[in-house]
Amino acid sequence: MLEVSDADVYYGDAQALWDVSVRVEEAEVVSIVGSNGAGKSTLVAAIMGIIPTRRGRIVFDGNDITEMAGHRVCRCGVAIVPEGRRLFPGLTVADNLDLGAFNVAARPHRAESVERVFALFPRLAQRATQLAGSLSGGEQQMLAIGRALMARPRLLLMDEPSLGLAPVIVDEVFEVVEAVRDAGVSVLLVEQNVARALEISSRAYLLSEGRIVMEGKASEMAADPEIRRAVLGV
Amino acid sequence: MSQLQATIFGALSGSLFAVMALGLSVVWGFLKIINLAHFGMILIGAYLTFELASTTGIDPIITVVIGAIAMFLFGAIVQAGFERWRVSEFNSLLISYGLLIITVQVVSNVWTADFQRMDSSVNPYAAQSLALGPLRFPLPTLIAAGFAVILVVGAKLILERTYSGRALQAFGQDRDIAGAFGIDHTKLGILLAGAAGATAAIGGMLHSLGESLHPDAPFEWVGRVFAIVILGGIGNVTGTLYAGLLVGGISGLTAAVWSPSASPFVVFSMVVLALVFRPTGLFPSKTGH
Amino acid sequence: MSDRGWIGLLLVAVGLAAVPALVGIFDFNSFYLVFLSGILFWTAQSTSWNILSGYSGYFSFGQGAFYGVGVYSMAVFFGRHGVDWLAATVIGGLLSMLLALAIGTIAFRLRSLRGEIFALLTLAVPFILAAVVRLSDTIDGGQGIVVPVPEYPEFLGSFQTFFFVVSAVVGVLSLAVAFVMERTRYGWALFAIRDDEAVAEGLGVPTFKHKMISIAANGLIGGVSGAVLALNLGFVSVEGTFNLRVPLFVIVMSVLGGRNHWAGPMIGAVYIHTLQNRLADSGFDGWSLIVLGVILVLLVLLAPEGLMARFGRRPWAVGGVFAATLIGLGSWGGWGQPVDWLAVALGTAALVAFLPGRRGGEVAAGRRAHHAPEIFEELPSPVEVGRPLVIADEAAKDFGGVHALRGVSATISQGELVGLVGPNGSGKTTLVNLISGALPPTSGTLTLDGNDLVGMPQHRIAHLGIARTYQIPRPFHSLTVRDNVAIAIMFGRDPHGLEVARDAADEFLSLVGLDHLSDQLPGQVNLHERQLLEMARAMATRPIVLLLDEALAGLNPVEVDNAVAVVRRIHESGVAIVFVEHVLRVVNQLATRIVVLDQGEVLAEGEPDLVMSDPAVITAYLGKEGHARSQ
Repeated sequence: MLEVSDADVYYGDAQALWDVSVRVEEAEVVSIVGSNGAGKSTLVAAIMGIIPTRRGRIVFDGNDITEMAGHRVCRCGVAIVPEGRRLFPGLTVADNLDLGAFNVAARPHRAESVERVFALFPRLAQRATQLAGSLSGGEQQMLAIGRALMARPRLLLMDEPSLGLAPVIVDEVFEVVEAVRDAGVSVLLVEQNVARALEISSRAYLLSEGRIVMEGKASEMAADPEIRRAVLGV
Repeated sequence: MSQLQATIFGALSGSLFAVMALGLSVVWGFLKIINLAHFGMILIGAYLTFELASTTGIDPIITVVIGAIAMFLFGAIVQAGFERWRVSEFNSLLISYGLLIITVQVVSNVWTADFQRMDSSVNPYAAQSLALGPLRFPLPTLIAAGFAVILVVGAKLILERTYSGRALQAFGQDRDIAGAFGIDHTKLGILLAGAAGATAAIGGMLHSLGESLHPDAPFEWVGRVFAIVILGGIGNVTGTLYAGLLVGGISGLTAAVWSPSASPFVVFSMVVLALVFRPTGLFPSKTGH
Repeated sequence: MSDRGWIGLLLVAVGLAAVPALVGIFDFNSFYLVFLSGILFWTAQSTSWNILSGYSGYFSFGQGAFYGVGVYSMAVFFGRHGVDWLAATVIGGLLSMLLALAIGTIAFRLRSLRGEIFALLTLAVPFILAAVVRLSDTIDGGQGIVVPVPEYPEFLGSFQTFFFVVSAVVGVLSLAVAFVMERTRYGWALFAIRDDEAVAEGLGVPTFKHKMISIAANGLIGGVSGAVLALNLGFVSVEGTFNLRVPLFVIVMSVLGGRNHWAGPMIGAVYIHTLQNRLADSGFDGWSLIVLGVILVLLVLLAPEGLMARFGRRPWAVGGVFAATLIGLGSWGGWGQPVDWLAVALGTAALVAFLPGRRGGEVAAGRRAHHAPEIFEELPSPVEVGRPLVIADEAAKDFGGVHALRGVSATISQGELVGLVGPNGSGKTTLVNLISGALPPTSGTLTLDGNDLVGMPQHRIAHLGIARTYQIPRPFHSLTVRDNVAIAIMFGRDPHGLEVARDAADEFLSLVGLDHLSDQLPGQVNLHERQLLEMARAMATRPIVLLLDEALAGLNPVEVDNAVAVVRRIHESGVAIVFVEHVLRVVNQLATRIVVLDQGEVLAEGEPDLVMSDPAVITAYLGKEGHARSQ
């Protein structure tokens, strides 16, 4: 469904990714793990069209989205849950969700999508008229996921969803990720928390200093002491 | 003129400057462009009203329709240029300064540097005044205040109640992520700049109802308008109106109590104090950022 | 910057001195004296503007304020009250300088100040001044003031000659000030401020002091020049003085001529004054402002660096075309007067200068793709750990509701190489910002050798001995690699003058292996080289403690190894180092001690092997299950 091939991505002037190839199939969760600065968030931004890809190709559902402008990528069925949530702080929960469906493909189904999101996140329904900036960390994460779901994506890009959250909340977030997958949406999950990420993924890639250094089935990678060495350097 | 009269009259006059400031503030806040050419659009709007009303005899307020359309196009085209050449926030200041100079000189060439004023047969409003209780105010000032309220309330409603308006707010709060959800910054930017141009034309029309026109007028407006933008909060729609009333009221009061030459000083000091203590503006708002 | 500059300045001065004599000998029309006086006036105004706005980057729309103070000082003191014209000139300059200092004191102290806000503040000042002048009867009162012709020495002959001489003195003095600034630390401090003020402050440049010097110079010269001009006006009025002309003209002249060079504004003045003169003469006066506006817009979009920069790239072509056109039209003599020929010659020269073509430094760009940085051998050598240097005690930092740091206590001692690690958002960069003084702590103390760092201006912290690099390198873009380092030597803990600093810079460049690139601009070297430049520049301030913020970001493995070797060399030279890093294998190799931060607190610290096997650390990095699995 999503195929990134031999991508070189630059963050401004500095090369962040060398020759990266990643694949995501229907209804699966794929993790990208690695230490900070490895380039995980850069990969997500490049797929979403927020930063340009200098070399290589990104194909989604048969469409070449490598050069596509940021605001058109979501129309094709890719939505993002950004690192740090990046909600629209001055707008309410309901408005944030509403705007998630702004793109042309999702807009006609807005009302139905809102209902589904509220069913998935009852706490958000309770806080529908509250400003997004006033929610707790966990609630904000739920809202960010909900906003992305409003775009009716076939692929969800999740960038560090566990960042800054208490372990109990992290559990809830990962439950949601599984629910999303069960509903037929694929997830490309970028995570610092290697253990939890590998637990819910079918496949994973280890990104280190801008390159893919390991890939395979998540269960196999989780048992591999190489992972610890790669991430901790010990 | 009693001090109360001076203050209220000042505040009402300030609302005209709020109309002038509205488009500038929104474009600066949402698009990160400081468009000095906005003042040129106000000037053209004023002279267009003068010209159209004087030659065709149509009521000057109605002529603003043509002015608004013309300045909508002007504003949209300039913004399209800024987008096309990826102009930085600072260079937009320089380039728009150049455009302002060109505009002023063109107006001066076409309409001469002499003061122009609509004839009373063409502009019935200038001579009239309305009593509010014991106080009396010139009609043009009251009309300006009315327009100010309508524009600000209208803008606020659009921003808060319409889907596109909220998309615009989102765009102002996080441009990249708004883009990731389909909010196209180029189209939005051009539309917004066009709308700002239209409000500039309205400001020009209102100005011409009550004052004589001369080409150098923009430079007298700059100080007060920027004071209003900064005090109201850059990009803050309702804040612009409140700041306009505040700046106007204080100017009027200062002129009455102390001296007219002191007003610019007082306003300038307010701006400096605001920059030190409340750089985001005196009137916090949800729609701003 | 060779000594050609001195020759240029001398030529200008001598040439101007000769003009009155030439006019007398050849019996030229006094038109040329008037014309040249105009150029000299604009030279003084533009050059003074450029000292502030061009050199330091603080764009001012308010030149009209300084000019106006000068004009009205002459009008009031000399015109109305009969004070001697020279004294009135001095008063005008001093008053204008006072105004400049007042503006600077307010504007440069504002923490929320950005370039745009400063520009807008300066836009307002002339109009406030105009209002005051117009409404106040002791000054103008709306009537205007007559300025009579002053008494001048007999030997000069005519008033025009006298005026020319005075204008020439003022003009040459303004050029001399700009010239001297460019060749001393003062000017270079301004260039650094223009390129990146925060970095300059962190290298030890007292930015506030230098900005005040530049605005004071702007005010002084602008006021003196305005006062002198008033002698030639005969009558001054508010509308005639406080209008757009002066602010606009000086901006266009300096942008056209080039803001990086002392002669740039003068060149721009020659061009614009000639153009304007010819337009007025042919009856197109109403068009001059339009033309100027168009020129400004085009320049900003297409050639913001101006003529001097372009001229420098093909001096012979431009000079040749200019001379050929001038001589050609002159000898033909079939059209126009000398001033017309000058205008056309200037035009053709500008066309040649602005022609798109090969950009400077192409030679260098070709080289850099293939040359790998010099690889250092690793030299093992233990450095003794000594006395405590930086002590952070319960340092905390809040941003709004976010607790970036919650009470961190740490000690950096002499001889240490401390690795600062932790997951995303753990507070590492915040801690670095607190130590370097970029941010004040919300609570807690920070000391260096017993000196309390909290509240100290950053440049003084740099003088005490703390230097830092930035994760994304922030070199001074318009200065060469060597000059980037030289700034640090000029203003660091052991300051030196410009020439000495330039020579000494090479020592630091060889420390990091960049000496072969010393004449390149930062934009022409690759990321790894720019990171090495960051380190060299920081080292050039001669710090006791060096803070490296993710110095390896974006490097390939070969470059990483090289950078590690450089860091080792720096350490051996006796500097204590704190480095923030994500690449943990490197941290393990380099560090004498590791401090792990998590969620704003110190999670663990100690020797690398021990710390990285600490269960709590493993959990923080890999997650709970990861720890269980790795058992």
